[in-house]
Amino acid sequence: MKTYSDLPSDAGSNIIGQVTAQADRIQKRLASVKHTVAIMSGKGGVGKSSLTANLATALTMKGNTVGVVDADINGPTLAKMMGVRNATLEYTPTGVKPAMTPLGTKLISMDLLLAEDDAPVLWNAHSQKDAFTWRSTMEVGALREFIADTEWGDLDYLLLDLPPGTDRLPNVAELIPNLGGVVVVTIPSEVSQLIVKKSVTMARDILRVPIIGVVENMAFYVCQHCGEEEPLFSADETLDKTLQQLMLGSIPFDPQLSRANDNGTLYIDKYPDAPASQVLVQVGKKIQDFFISTL
Amino acid sequence: MKFLCTDCDTAMKFKDVTRPEQGSVTALFECPDCFTEIAMYLNPSETQMLKSLDLKLGGTNEAAQPMQLVRSQLETAKGEPMPNMFSSETSSSETAEGGKCPFTGVISDAFQEDATPAEPTGPTWTAEALERLERIPAFVRPMAKMGIESFAKDNGHDEITGEVMDAARGNFPAQF
Repeated sequence: MKTYSDLPSDAGSNIIGQVTAQADRIQKRLASVKHTVAIMSGKGGVGKSSLTANLATALTMKGNTVGVVDADINGPTLAKMMGVRNATLEYTPTGVKPAMTPLGTKLISMDLLLAEDDAPVLWNAHSQKDAFTWRSTMEVGALREFIADTEWGDLDYLLLDLPPGTDRLPNVAELIPNLGGVVVVTIPSEVSQLIVKKSVTMARDILRVPIIGVVENMAFYVCQHCGEEEPLFSADETLDKTLQQLMLGSIPFDPQLSRANDNGTLYIDKYPDAPASQVLVQVGKKIQDFFISTL
Repeated sequence: MKFLCTDCDTAMKFKDVTRPEQGSVTALFECPDCFTEIAMYLNPSETQMLKSLDLKLGGTNEAAQPMQLVRSQLETAKGEPMPNMFSSETSSSETAEGGKCPFTGVISDAFQEDATPAEPTGPTWTAEALERLERIPAFVRPMAKMGIESFAKDNGHDEITGEVMDAARGNFPAQF
């Protein structure tokens, strides 16, 4: 009796061919993208999306063409933060035209597809029972389409804002095998760094994805009255040595940044002289330098 | 997945796939030598997994449409209802508003629920025959239905009646 390997094909479905075609769609789309950068943490609530929005804007303001994928399928916030929540996506036979900020940064986000403010991401299914068995697969499929089917055009940088969880980067690395690098975001708390170090290990040692560096967010705050810098978290908290070596910059906490996010105003554009904006610009420059150095 | 006709030692070929019944699709495979058919049942979770992977049983020659998975599967989508490749809510060519679906070319009939059958292309069923069909246990019903339709077609019956079912019965283990 013939064995599995004796049979030439899968009876006609050509599943491997279909999966290959999906991967080819991504490769074809990314052929016009110079650098892909994943912004990740592992830990939630450290300001990844806020950093992504402003880094993308900083890079755009430096004359780069920049696209952003809001890879947080279930908690998309970037359309709100970047002020394009009312944008209508335009579908063409070759792709979907992304939303665009006034400065020209392109964005695709699940938020642009959801019907209402309070509408969660709910997938069509015969039954939602046991949805845990397939929901993650559907989410990766959505992310694949966001990358492959958005008409990015020629981009210098495509930033991907990853949701919390150390398991997210492997999904992206599968979709984008030549991922350019990772920016890891943390805050000066031991709890955050505990998780962030796992993300660094995942990227550097397991996936072998280049780590561009670490950004310490909410590192301190600047008193608006006296200009003194004060720690926002514990004064005893110092950044882990491993993370320190990878440091791209420490961004001070600024309540105006939070307000700008809520208002859909691009903080770095509105407050270019603010200390946080200046660090963001420096981080953007270091990202550019990283890719120049790898040429 | 590959299927072997053990009698002929020949790889079986994909023949057809049913619309989901209670979330489960049935794929039919045939031996090209002896024409023996087998049915493969995907339970609802397996069917849903296939949908989530945006894969099509039997393959496809259609070019993928932009964000076809998200737009067809996101229940809470913005704007007018998106055409759904897999559900029974809309026909394969029209939206609920009657507008032309931009994804007609990629609609997978394989995943259209049985509740909205496509234009009949095979024999029609009489009410009596359909009633008898309903008495067949659900887990073998899709296979029995395909087998009876295949029998009717092969024997020149345009309509499946109780008599046709009686004649076909000898070919099936299930009683109806």
